[in-house]
Amino acid sequence: MTRTSRVLTVVAVTAALAGLPMTTATADEGGLLRLAHLSPDTPAVDVYVDSVADPAAGQVFPAVGYGTVSEYQSVPPGTYAISMRGAGADPASPPVLSTTVEVGADSARTVAGVGPFADLGLEVLEDDLTPPPAGSARLRVVAAAAGAQSLDVAVPGGPAVATDLAFADTTGYVDVPAGATSVTVTPEGGEATELPVQVAAGSVYSVLVLDRPGGGLTVRAALDAASPGVVPSGGVEAGAGGTAGGTAGSPALPLAATAAGVVLAGGAGLFLLTTRTHAARVPGRHAAGRRRR
Amino acid sequence: MTRAPRHRAMGSRSRHRAPRRTRLGVLRLVLAVLVLAAGAVALTWPAPDPRAAAGTAAASAPVAAPVPGPVVLAEQPAPTAVPPTRVRVPAIGLDSGLVDLGLDATGALQAPTDDATAGWYAGGPAPGDVGPAVLAGHVDSVRGPAVFSRLGELTDGDRVLVDRADGSTATFTVTRVERHPKDAFPTDAVYGPTADAQLRLVTCGGDFDRSARSYEDNVVVFARMT
Repeated sequence: MTRTSRVLTVVAVTAALAGLPMTTATADEGGLLRLAHLSPDTPAVDVYVDSVADPAAGQVFPAVGYGTVSEYQSVPPGTYAISMRGAGADPASPPVLSTTVEVGADSARTVAGVGPFADLGLEVLEDDLTPPPAGSARLRVVAAAAGAQSLDVAVPGGPAVATDLAFADTTGYVDVPAGATSVTVTPEGGEATELPVQVAAGSVYSVLVLDRPGGGLTVRAALDAASPGVVPSGGVEAGAGGTAGGTAGSPALPLAATAAGVVLAGGAGLFLLTTRTHAARVPGRHAAGRRRR
Repeated sequence: MTRAPRHRAMGSRSRHRAPRRTRLGVLRLVLAVLVLAAGAVALTWPAPDPRAAAGTAAASAPVAAPVPGPVVLAEQPAPTAVPPTRVRVPAIGLDSGLVDLGLDATGALQAPTDDATAGWYAGGPAPGDVGPAVLAGHVDSVRGPAVFSRLGELTDGDRVLVDRADGSTATFTVTRVERHPKDAFPTDAVYGPTADAQLRLVTCGGDFDRSARSYEDNVVVFARMT
């Protein structure tokens, strides 16, 4: 056996036996970013999202108005510059407001314009993606109504989520018993109002309190993240061994099968290494297989 | 939780104490009045254009009323929860109907009884809804390959299509493929909350433990809707 073919065989066999890496962290694993306009007296804005690493990969969200919470956008992990300009303003004009936000892989961030127009700020909210305890959901409150200088939000029979929360502030997440069907909102100087809100186990919500056109408050429960209400324990039994290398009780067959696998995999390895178009797909697995042992 | 009530209690306590610290109290009052006055001037004086515009828009509202108006719930789209009917993965020639899956007596996800058909964990999000939708299928039977036998061949960027009961199709893109020992199953990564619509395909892999008649590992394909 020449040195090269031995190396190739080893690589191919390792790849065939290891099959898959135990864990991977691929570069294209994105994070999530969404935008919110939560400043009652600020006119609609165009929001620009620009990757610091790749300025060409910019996005514009045109005419985002008060109360809007965008859908999450999947973005490569990295730092993003968020700029707000008046709706229809020249993209080259200086932004009214700007900030940067760090988006990691498998994380979610909400960038929100908050507070009164006279004191407008861009806030980066960390959206919680950790699993709530069994049988629980998770709530936070975003006070985005100038009509309520402060407010209380609670789940009847459950914990308080917001207490004396000032306009433009956001609470941390609070675990609440799942299955709750309402939340109580009490603005300062007003009466408690119970609103029907379904709180599903395993889900994470932002309760937005907004100024209502014509007076009063509008409450909206935005779904931040969801997961199964009951999380299965452990893995899955999904195989009977029929392709594990021969039938049970005949040790010769698995060896033969492995030997056949070695030959096939070795051949495949040689073939793939000489075929450029496939080379891109295979090396990752070879490398991972080698890394494993 | 504990902080807020304490904060409130402290507030009332200091109010009780105020008479004993009259001079400081007066100073505070003067400061507060000054701050309020400054705030009022700042709010009323320059009146920049956009705020003036906003003011006219809300002119019909009883702005001056000290008592807040009604508190109402915004109209929200009802959660869809359309069950999936088929899973198709062109890259590995997979095309299977889907049965609903539940949990066994130990709380583990039950694989489909038919090894030629994949299943959907009906206790979790539906494919296309926010959250991790989970599909499971056998890698093999005692006779040979089963529905998910080639799952481990998938790589980043491969497409997974899920047909849904309303006739629509949700398209997912594979982001990573992992293999884990069953006794170290990555429960949080597989079932933990996600902010977008994601998909997991789970089957068996690794070495087959003949005495336990069980594979030692699970292969998990992670995908997100695109």
